[in-house]
Amino acid sequence: MLMRAMPSSTDVKTGGIALHSLQKRYGAAMAVDDVSLSVSPGEFISLLGPSGSGKTTTLMMIAGFEMPDSGRVLLDDKDITRLPPHRRELGVIFQNYALFPHMTVAENVAYPLRMRRVPKAQLEARVNRVLDQVHLGAFAARRPHQLSGGQQQRVAIARALVFDPPVLLLDEPLGALDKKLRQHLRNEIKTLHRDVGKTMIYVTHDQEEALAMSDRVAVMHEGRIRQVSAPQDIYRRPADLFVASFVGEVNLIPAKLRSGVAHGPADETLAAPAWSDGDMDATLCVRPEHLHLGTGEAAAPGIQGHVTGMTFVGDATIVEFRSNSGLQLTSKVLNISAGAMLGVGDNCTASWATNDATILTE
Amino acid sequence: MAYTISSTEIQKTTRALQPARPTPWAWLMLPGSIFLAVLFVVPLGWLLLLSFGAPDWTIAHFVRIAQNPAYIGVLRTTLQISCVVTALTFVLSYPIAYALTTGGTKLRTFLLIAVVLPFFTSVLARTFAWVVLLGRNGVINEILLQLGWVSQPVALLYNRIGVIAGMTHVVMPLMILPMLTVMSSIDQRLLRAARANGASPLAAFLTVFLPLSLPGLIAGILLVFINCLGFYITPALLGGVSDVTITMEISAQVVGQLNWNFGAALSTVLLVAVMAVLWLGSRFFPIEQLLGFSDDKIGLDKTARRQMGTQWLMRIGSAANALDRWLPSMGGRGIPIFASFLAVLLLLPVVIVAYLSFSASSYFVFPVPGYSLQNYERYFSDPLWLRATVTSIRIALMATTMATMLGAMLAFGLSRGRIRGRGAMIALVLSPIIMPTVVVAVATYFVLVQVGLQGTEFGLALGHAVHAIPYVVVIVVANLRDLNPTYERAARSLGAGPLATFRTIIAPLVMPALIVAAFLAFLISFDDVVYVLFLGIGRIATLPMRMWEGITQDINPTIAAVATLQMVFATIVIFVNTLLGRRKAQS
Repeated sequence: MLMRAMPSSTDVKTGGIALHSLQKRYGAAMAVDDVSLSVSPGEFISLLGPSGSGKTTTLMMIAGFEMPDSGRVLLDDKDITRLPPHRRELGVIFQNYALFPHMTVAENVAYPLRMRRVPKAQLEARVNRVLDQVHLGAFAARRPHQLSGGQQQRVAIARALVFDPPVLLLDEPLGALDKKLRQHLRNEIKTLHRDVGKTMIYVTHDQEEALAMSDRVAVMHEGRIRQVSAPQDIYRRPADLFVASFVGEVNLIPAKLRSGVAHGPADETLAAPAWSDGDMDATLCVRPEHLHLGTGEAAAPGIQGHVTGMTFVGDATIVEFRSNSGLQLTSKVLNISAGAMLGVGDNCTASWATNDATILTE
Repeated sequence: MAYTISSTEIQKTTRALQPARPTPWAWLMLPGSIFLAVLFVVPLGWLLLLSFGAPDWTIAHFVRIAQNPAYIGVLRTTLQISCVVTALTFVLSYPIAYALTTGGTKLRTFLLIAVVLPFFTSVLARTFAWVVLLGRNGVINEILLQLGWVSQPVALLYNRIGVIAGMTHVVMPLMILPMLTVMSSIDQRLLRAARANGASPLAAFLTVFLPLSLPGLIAGILLVFINCLGFYITPALLGGVSDVTITMEISAQVVGQLNWNFGAALSTVLLVAVMAVLWLGSRFFPIEQLLGFSDDKIGLDKTARRQMGTQWLMRIGSAANALDRWLPSMGGRGIPIFASFLAVLLLLPVVIVAYLSFSASSYFVFPVPGYSLQNYERYFSDPLWLRATVTSIRIALMATTMATMLGAMLAFGLSRGRIRGRGAMIALVLSPIIMPTVVVAVATYFVLVQVGLQGTEFGLALGHAVHAIPYVVVIVVANLRDLNPTYERAARSLGAGPLATFRTIIAPLVMPALIVAAFLAFLISFDDVVYVLFLGIGRIATLPMRMWEGITQDINPTIAAVATLQMVFATIVIFVNTLLGRRKAQS
């Protein structure tokens, strides 16, 4: 389902959001702890984190439903921290959409315009236009409960877009849906972003969603932002152990960095990128698809061990590996050819390319 | 023979495909429905026949009502009082229900206590509280005089003011509870969505919350209005000579003048009025849904399908939004404070009676000159009070046993059995709550006289059981909905027979609800005055009967002690209820 370009009323880029050291405390618990973030106009940014990480609280502070204990929220350099939600002119798409059950689709979409006292003729024209844009023109007279999950999402989008806010806030809109539909709607939202060019702040606990849709991802944990980067960098260059293990699968290998060389648990030499901080103990992060298991003399230097299990998952095979020093590692091998692979019990060496490892010290 | 067996086998397999096991459960409804048929349907039918002068058929009694200005006046008074009380109750109840839905935990707990405690305190005790408050030397006059706002006592009691104040106080919980049921089913995120779409708090309330809470409002208004039409105790005790309502007239005709046919005709008029209001109301709201008999959530779908003319609310909401920038911000504290104030008013009469019961004076003096337990001593040392208490307990135990057993069986039958005419069955089981108590009591009296059970404790207990059965059914049905049939199937698959399944699975899971239901049935019988007035024919002196006589004759401070003890008992019932509820929530 494609959404054609929605004309934006402004040519000047608006919709920049800046958060300055937001803090929010619930009783003794710090829900949001010193969160600062700058979102440029037109950017798609995700707040990613497990439940209780403060991502929804942060979004609700932007929307105006939660007051920060300290810190400021700026919209295009205007301080909106204390502005009540209905005067912020931000579009919000809620979890489960929060469509009004006692109104038709058209009445739902007209709601923000009614609240702004838009004249009737203009109101109808705008509602019809936006409903056509989300391909729901034929459903205008229906009630929300008569629509499918995907159609409900499009009503929610239409309702949030009809008053042309510069920013859309999305609170886990795909949370309650099944996997197939989720992937489909993910693409719709992404297309929408490309077409309308509005700033979007998207809260999710689904890392795949965040990586697939965003220009940048902000990973949150225990009320703090741990890393803000492009999806590729979040995955390939995690800033800390939490980000490394929360986003994707990862092998964590304890390493001793001594005079320019990384040493493994059994003192074997490990491939690692250059570092500058002198000798230290660290952890090497290697993604399973970067971990190679080789046999014989040709194998690159790495960790000696044997295969303990193999799981076929369709496109790939997950190989469980146990080093002689007792370290459990995982390798993901794409099933490109049906050729003979390793078997359980085979001795082999685990290795990786220098640039595929990340050094984390924590 | 072989053919029969195979056909039942087929029936069994087709039944197994249905969600709940059908017919065997339906048999459980038999004893309860016979009981209600004999003691509820037959009496009302009899009443109808009597009103038409059976066996000499005539409509003279109805003609007399229609032509005599005195009776027209009674009908008008009843209607006026009911309308004013319903309107006042609505205005006072909505903020409490709203704050109960949207407030913080502490506020909610306080408000819930303020609503539930009076609800479980007997109507007689609460009406007595108003006698104490409103009398010439009552608490309110006392305060007004001391403040110097009036130079002599104001007449508040035995006139319209007294009736309206007392009745409003008594029926408020009936308005709040259905409102609360509907309001708490409203998704709070919808309000946020409205705010995010540009609605001010007031506009969000008008365009989203209010329309969605309409079914609850209608149900509450309906319930309260019906209750007011058939109200007896409070108007009889607080009203003056010009405040005679239809129920008082019925009582006067049947008990005072032994004019059965005319009393029956008046009862029929009241009954028809109540049915008409119910029919009108059921076009807007499915009443049985409110009492927990519907399988789905309280009618959001239903309201969604119905255009309830909320367009004008949208217009007002939109206008309110335009004003928002000029309206001063109330900071959102106004409603909780107002609701708390109303809740204090709701609690105050009950609290003042308890306070006065510890007075050292033998009269009602406010504030009390000193504290003593003399009122309690007088109660515990007076053989008349004690004998009345024992009589009440004896009757209540009989009524509780009957109501709990029959009600539980009805509940199982109704929720598990699949029979035709289930809707009619539900209507039959629930109607003793909805029909005016005075009418049912009068009708029961006419029938009991035929078998010589009038003026006996057993006869009175039968009446009480009829009135308590609906409450038992509602509580047990609500509980059975949580009792997943999968548990029983699991038990059966693990080798438990039907009886062992009942003993090990169903009985333990339903027991808390049964205990609560039994307590409530006991309370209903223990607090009743109306049935005693008609069925006791002056021979049975229950505790409420003694209180009633005390209030109508000498307003004795001992009554304050008795009323306080009743409230303590009600509090214990609520406490047990919450305790069992919490245990269930934990498990």
